[in-house]
Amino acid sequence: MILRKGVLILMWCFPATLVADSLAFNEKEVPETLDDFREIQKALQANLEKARAATICLQLGEGSGSGVIVSAEGLILTAAHVTAGVGEEMTVVMEDGTEYQGVSLGLQSETDAAMLQITDQGPFPFVEYDREDSTKLGDWVFSLGHSGGFDKARGVNVRVGRLVREAENTIQSDCMLIGGDSGGPLFNMRGELIGIHSRVGSSKEESMHVPLREFQKNWDDLSASQFLGEGPFAQKSEAGTGFLGLLSEPASEGGLRVVELWEDGVAEKAGFRVGDRILEIAGEEASEEILNAQLAELGAGDKLKLKWISGEETKEETLKLGERP
Amino acid sequence: MKLITLFLLCSFPVVANTLPSEKRKNGPLIQEVLSPVQVYLQESSAVFYDNETYKNFIYGTVVSSDGLVLTKASELEDVEDYLIRIGKKKYRSFKVLASDSNWDVALVKVEAEGLLPVDLTGNSEISHGTWVVSNGASERMFRRPRPGIISANKREIPGGSPAVLGVQFQFEDGKMKVNAITEESGAQKAGVKKGDVMVRVDGKEIVDDKSFIEYLRAKAPGDLIKLGILRGSRELDLEVELSARHKLFGGPQSRNDQMSGEFSERRESFPMVLQHETMLSARSVGGPLFTFEGRFLGMNIAAANRVESFAIPVEDLCKVLAKLKISAGIQ
Repeated sequence: MILRKGVLILMWCFPATLVADSLAFNEKEVPETLDDFREIQKALQANLEKARAATICLQLGEGSGSGVIVSAEGLILTAAHVTAGVGEEMTVVMEDGTEYQGVSLGLQSETDAAMLQITDQGPFPFVEYDREDSTKLGDWVFSLGHSGGFDKARGVNVRVGRLVREAENTIQSDCMLIGGDSGGPLFNMRGELIGIHSRVGSSKEESMHVPLREFQKNWDDLSASQFLGEGPFAQKSEAGTGFLGLLSEPASEGGLRVVELWEDGVAEKAGFRVGDRILEIAGEEASEEILNAQLAELGAGDKLKLKWISGEETKEETLKLGERP
Repeated sequence: MKLITLFLLCSFPVVANTLPSEKRKNGPLIQEVLSPVQVYLQESSAVFYDNETYKNFIYGTVVSSDGLVLTKASELEDVEDYLIRIGKKKYRSFKVLASDSNWDVALVKVEAEGLLPVDLTGNSEISHGTWVVSNGASERMFRRPRPGIISANKREIPGGSPAVLGVQFQFEDGKMKVNAITEESGAQKAGVKKGDVMVRVDGKEIVDDKSFIEYLRAKAPGDLIKLGILRGSRELDLEVELSARHKLFGGPQSRNDQMSGEFSERRESFPMVLQHETMLSARSVGGPLFTFEGRFLGMNIAAANRVESFAIPVEDLCKVLAKLKISAGIQ
């Protein structure tokens, strides 16, 4: 026991002295000379290339946000209000314009933390995160993101600032942010990820980030695609609001016969034709009871797997429900 | 998907740990350390004050010891009566010699001597993350340095608002007839009237509406055209300044614009810019951008939005200056 304590103390002292050597500017109240600023610049530039390579733009429909890759397999940390749900498919764009497919994993809707997985084959460039939660108030930090959306000629946008406020589930910096930066990374001057951009205050210099410890706290649930919390950064869909856009009746040969389709509805867009026969709903044999039970439980944006016969062809697809008119 | 704006009070519990504002990036204690650079900002910047409001509305960059100053052309248009302050001196005697709509730069001659011009022989080669400094909100005797870093790739900024004349016209029976005139447009200011028939543009006959529109499309806001008009039996030649479409007709502001404060009206269509993140507003654009060592990198040309500021690189600024000097007839 005593020995272990000794080892712990040694381990604690050693990196602390190292840090004091390389990032001495963080130990000062404010930089005292221009040389202190040059040291900040040196640290930032030493880590910038790697940080930029791992910073990505997320594109979903009309909107866009940012994110950062934290594993060679393509695990991305981002903001819950960017992914807005679990199992959402979106495009991941690297700084050079290379595109990959991604699907959102879990999110914590109260702190704005979310995860996403690139579904294409790696390895991907990634950054380390500050596992020890060692960054403190006043530390110099830098912020990256695809401000206002992807712009290949401009590239990733970098900003510098200090950690100016700390609270339980939020950290604040004076790195300026704008729409499109959401979900992007905040780094300490060792190049470790310390936060994810979430929102801004009323002045230009109030930027709020989700601290990494909020991700670490829920890492397993987030990786397992859990929707955590009651908002405000993401809302679970309301049961019963999902809409398929078709009318059906029991078919004599079993399953459900499609008798009417809403123009531009989810079903029509998925390729349904009047007269098609639904065989299975969410893996069960199709019946009016099953369909009604599923729709009563699901909301707009939720997914429903269907198997049906259209003409000669048997189709199987997971449809994303629309909003009930 | 957009960044959510929330007020701080809502998002923080009472027990929060806060860094005092004077120690923050734009705080006075940080600015104090930048005093070695401040002398360049003080002596090589020109500040244009509106004589009516006594407020500065644009900055300029001193490029010769005998009073040549470059500034943002489009911001000069709206103010008629102003004075210029360089260093600690006030100047009321000056003249706008020439301007370049491509770069949005104007050349002004101030009756002054012994000024400290920026060094135009340098280059703008600089890596991302390098500290730079611009003018912040200034008091008369003291320009506050605003620190920031080079924040993105050097590049062309495409786009820009199309140039419009400010008239509604109809091509009928071989005649280009004016049906209506937009308030505040160049056409209104030049005295174009409803019922006028436009017959010539810059000396060329107007043959149909298509070629006329095409001719205007190649122009930039701020350009002057000579419009030949038939009013009744009289023939008139009017000089009309083209306006930016968005200035006349507005346009929806994006969320990002709403949260960007006073950004520059013209922030697009520049052949080349350096991008940095020193905090600028539309009123502090036009001044010089330096490294912390006092190396001149370029002239600030637009506060594009909350996070992006643009500067014309020194190499390009030199070429623009040379052109402006030729059109002003100075060696």
